[in-house]
Amino acid sequence: MNDTLEIKREAQLRETARRLLEDGTVGYIIGWGTTRFEDKTAPLFAAKPEEADRLVWNEYCINSLAKYSLDDKYPEKKIGICVRGCDSRAVNRLVNDKQIERENLFLIGMPCSGKENSVCEGCSHKNPVVYDILIGEPVEENTEEKASAERFREIEEFEKMSPDERYEFWAKQYDKCIRCYACRNICPACSCKECYADQYMVGWQGKQNNRAESQVYGLTRAYHVGDRCIECGECERVCPMGLPIMRQTKKMLKDINDLFGNYECGVESERAPVLGEYDLTDRDEFM
Amino acid sequence: MSRTGVIICHCGTNIASMVDVEKVAEEIGKIPGVVYSVTNKYTCSEPGQQMIKDAIEEHSLDRIVIGACTPRMHETTFRKMLKGTKINPYMLEIANLREQCAWVHTDKEKATEKAISLVRMSVAKVGSNKPLFTSFIPIHKKALVIGGGIAGIQAALDIADAGHEVTLVEREPSIGGKMVMLDKTFPTLDCSACISTPKMVDVSAHPNITLKTSCEVEAVTGYVGNFEVTIRQKARYVNHDICTGCGLCETKCPSKISDEFNQGIGERKAIYKLFPQAVPAKPVIDAQNCRKLNGSAKCGVCQIVCPLQCIDFEDKDQLITETYGAIVVATGYELIDWTKLYGEYGSGRYADVISGLQFERLVNASGPTEGHILRPSDQKEPKDVVIVKCVGSRDEKKGKSYCSRACCMYGAKHAHQILEKIPGSNVYIFYMDVRTPGKGYEEFYNRTREDGATYIRGRVAKIYKEGDKLICTGEDTLIGKPVTVKADMVILETAMVPARGVEEIVSKLGISMDGDHWVQEAHPKLRPVETQTAGIFLAGTCQGPKDIPDTVAQASAAAVKVCGVFSKEQMETSPMISRVNEEKCCGCEFCVKCCPYSAIAMKEIDGREGNRKIKRMVATVNSGLCQGCGACTAACRTGAIDLLGYTNDQILKEVDALCL
Repeated sequence: MNDTLEIKREAQLRETARRLLEDGTVGYIIGWGTTRFEDKTAPLFAAKPEEADRLVWNEYCINSLAKYSLDDKYPEKKIGICVRGCDSRAVNRLVNDKQIERENLFLIGMPCSGKENSVCEGCSHKNPVVYDILIGEPVEENTEEKASAERFREIEEFEKMSPDERYEFWAKQYDKCIRCYACRNICPACSCKECYADQYMVGWQGKQNNRAESQVYGLTRAYHVGDRCIECGECERVCPMGLPIMRQTKKMLKDINDLFGNYECGVESERAPVLGEYDLTDRDEFM
Repeated sequence: MSRTGVIICHCGTNIASMVDVEKVAEEIGKIPGVVYSVTNKYTCSEPGQQMIKDAIEEHSLDRIVIGACTPRMHETTFRKMLKGTKINPYMLEIANLREQCAWVHTDKEKATEKAISLVRMSVAKVGSNKPLFTSFIPIHKKALVIGGGIAGIQAALDIADAGHEVTLVEREPSIGGKMVMLDKTFPTLDCSACISTPKMVDVSAHPNITLKTSCEVEAVTGYVGNFEVTIRQKARYVNHDICTGCGLCETKCPSKISDEFNQGIGERKAIYKLFPQAVPAKPVIDAQNCRKLNGSAKCGVCQIVCPLQCIDFEDKDQLITETYGAIVVATGYELIDWTKLYGEYGSGRYADVISGLQFERLVNASGPTEGHILRPSDQKEPKDVVIVKCVGSRDEKKGKSYCSRACCMYGAKHAHQILEKIPGSNVYIFYMDVRTPGKGYEEFYNRTREDGATYIRGRVAKIYKEGDKLICTGEDTLIGKPVTVKADMVILETAMVPARGVEEIVSKLGISMDGDHWVQEAHPKLRPVETQTAGIFLAGTCQGPKDIPDTVAQASAAAVKVCGVFSKEQMETSPMISRVNEEKCCGCEFCVKCCPYSAIAMKEIDGREGNRKIKRMVATVNSGLCQGCGACTAACRTGAIDLLGYTNDQILKEVDALCL
């Protein structure tokens, strides 16, 4: 991927970032910076014009950045965020969920032709769906056939297992879960002030680290984000125990698509989550 | 530690025959915190209630569990009883041991086991009960009726007669609606105007009724007892305070426009009364067609001829806001526009293919032909008339799937009127079924057949013109042969559809519609005049197609419901409503979207973010609107909303009691 086009894009990004910081359009810019490992980048917060040159753009820029804006919900100046297709959908997610104001963000659109991340394979939005300034030219999107074939391929395979086999599969997975809540912390759809899992007074879920409590956590998390998942795959990427977490939300999205027609989250800037809206033409054969 | 008292009711033998009540009481008595556990033959009886009261004193109980019949039966009874004790009425739980246990099981041992579980759950729940207190909201005893057709008129008169103030809002310049357009009403053949115009006059003369014509509802906020309604008074350009309705302006106005009241047959002026008996009997100017107001000419003739100078070309729309305690929706219906749907009937190309309502105007003595049935095209009397029923009704492909209910009868009435007024005429009625469910309806249908109307079972497939005849082809499905009728005139009995703009009214009021946009009632059988929103009631065809008797009956029913609301000075609200924990609320607005009663709104509160003071949005529940359904509590991922009386904590305690 490190072709001349992307190197040019990096230079353009730095230049734009410097200009935005210099003229005071943004207070700081959230992007990617180098680490001591060549094949890893880390989120970078550039607050001064001279820090703009520390921004990088390469195939290792895999961290999702939009959620960092939640740490500064009421900024004095706009927050600049570098957004790829998935990040821009995360921004839409947070705006839809009334967690941040779009006016508080300045989105630097980064057309992305895929990173060193398996989730990028069937990406349906390589170009940001919302941005204030686009760096370079848009890249070619995956064909609809490729994106849709890839989207639920894993789920279709998984659905072939019997219910008992699937239960056994997840039970084993959740035996591994250490309940670090990384999947929750990274998820742009998880934006509660106080997560239910942290509320010990009510007793939704115990603190014990065992199969039952971990399964309750897994199920509840899936249902809480299921109809709002933007399919960025961050939950799965950050899981230190390697649980295939996105399968749960993807399964829900597949069911939603089967029941209510084509539905992708975070693509529009104003849309109620599909399970939170009601329409007289909705299917109701279960009633 | 709580001190719970448990009473297991025998309910005579209803519960005791299938559940070992003594064993239940004994087992429950072992639960920590339960200090009193007994059985009673009839707990709801006077001695039964007294026993509980005594136990509360004797054992210093602070909460009660009663294992008895469904809470729907006696929960209020026991709450009332607790009002006289030191225990708050909401420190009570009822385990349903009758409907959900004894009555549905046959194995006594297992039923007893289940009863123990049910009571144990209630004991666990009652441990987390908190005292709740009812609050009162004031009721403004003034009703708003939207729509001045026969439904609105009847509802307004009934409410006003009961002694309450009513405002009747009508968007047209006159009240009367569709009923005054009709000539005669089935099955008694009463003159429609003769029975409806006196009611219109009653409305205008009633001291309790404020009539607002040329008005539309602009915005509605608030809740039962306290609806804030903004009404737009559209510019009339005629000062109705001075105008005497002499009609001089009307005679001099040079503009001629197709007359809506006469269904496009005939013309009216730009300054006009909707019809001669209009209430109020004063004209308005139709700004779109007035030469002076639309700027096409200087004109202003009406202003010159008016002896009282009541024409005001500078008149503007005005907004009026008032508070109402209850609202009756009576927005009515209109006929489906068949010309857009039925190309095979000529899409309106043939002047002599008319709708049932156009025929009503033709046959009406105050109509454009003064009651003579004359073809619109050449003003000749038709001899052969075809009536087609179910045009747009019961026709999923082109129109609506429902039956419009009134067409079979007014089709028969039209046939009767033609046969009566035109000697030697022939009437052919194409029908799918003849539906006559009403008092005297079947008799009227038989009478029409005896009059000589020919009923042909089948739809008309095509209408085309040949000379001055309309050729109607179709199939007589009873004999399975094609039929062709050469007609002079065709009357289409078209489907009823909700009045235009019903969608806007519905969204302003926060009530719902069905798939065909009829306004949704709270329950199709048991709450047919209520809506899901307390204080908003339905009258007439806005709820679904119906005839005049049903409409009037529903209007009176809605009026009684309004009077029911107004029978109290203030209304006690249930304390079992949702409550928002503002600390936890993240302002995602999910609850707002899923609330069926529009009871949740967002409000701004002060907050802190680090060392800065900020404003943030949180949900807030309107206690007047909240019905305690709990939809918001299920939708709130954070658990920031709790339904008092059914808190998350209480439900989890119950589940734990059952499962652990």
